[in-house]
Amino acid sequence: MLERRSPSKLAGKEATETPPPTDVRFVRVPSIAERKLGNDYVAPMRLDPRVLAQMQTTIRDLETKYAESLKSQVAMLQILVEPSCKGDPDARRRLYALAHDMRGLAGTFGHAIVGQFADSLCRYIENLQTGDWNDGTVVTFHVDAIRDALENPGTDPAVTVETLNALDRLIGSGRHQRTAG
Amino acid sequence: MSGTPPRPPTGADEDFFRRLKVLVVEDSAEMRRLLVALLETMGVTRIVVARDGEKGLAAFAAERPDIIVTDGAMTPMDGYEMTRAIRSSAGGDGANPEVPILMISGHVGRAEVTHARDQGVTDYLAKPLSAETLYKAIVAAVSKPIHFVERPGYRGPSPKRSLDAKRS
Repeated sequence: MLERRSPSKLAGKEATETPPPTDVRFVRVPSIAERKLGNDYVAPMRLDPRVLAQMQTTIRDLETKYAESLKSQVAMLQILVEPSCKGDPDARRRLYALAHDMRGLAGTFGHAIVGQFADSLCRYIENLQTGDWNDGTVVTFHVDAIRDALENPGTDPAVTVETLNALDRLIGSGRHQRTAG
Repeated sequence: MSGTPPRPPTGADEDFFRRLKVLVVEDSAEMRRLLVALLETMGVTRIVVARDGEKGLAAFAAERPDIIVTDGAMTPMDGYEMTRAIRSSAGGDGANPEVPILMISGHVGRAEVTHARDQGVTDYLAKPLSAETLYKAIVAAVSKPIHFVERPGYRGPSPKRSLDAKRS
């Protein structure tokens, strides 16, 4: 059940400023809720605070399992640093994949600082030239920071911020040296 | 004066979510476990899982989901390419090319979000994800009418709309 309208009725300001090409169509499709609930559906759909509370409990229930997995991931990161910096492409791929996983998940499970260091490491790797891996200083410092954050979860946030800033300066200094060189 | 009292808003309750079929496309086993657990807590019982965009595309055609929750960066096919392919599909087999697509990604730069929007994603959620962000995004995606632009070379939500990564 598609409802097709001429562009001028839906495009609003866009239509008055620049007339759209004639081969553009605007289509309004009923929402999934309208399709599923039919006449029973009344917008807007409300959020149920009980469901949200249950979802938060679900995350807490998964935290223990994730903590175990994170511990082995961090141990693996430490193992992968050396071969990565010696040029092993598979080790580099695995190291990035682990850091990427931590960037996405650690914060959800209460390890926000681990997630922040992993994010910094991912951004560094994403902008790396292949040869930059040979100087493993930045990667090693990041992995050490991730391990420390996991082992000392109560670290003063000011120390975390200062460490992140120091890592940023280290990354910037490497870039500066390359530019100057 | 009408004697008909206003109808209360529809609850986003378990009964509604039981009717939904959700496709989760995610390469991280930990993230898949989290998403499936959160969806089950919402009351969703029909959950299909795929590990990359290619398998997600196949599952979209075979399973005809009501909503898709996908990662961005995956190999061999990422979530961006999968989204574009879904939007371009004819839907002749009953799969719905207008299906709401929520992208969840650790890449939250302007360029990545704009790229996702231009491929046709409905909403973009930043990792790390909270229960509240996911719940709100799913409820919004299934309850809002879907407005699509069709033009040569593009079909999907308006590429001119403002889209920001929702952070938890």
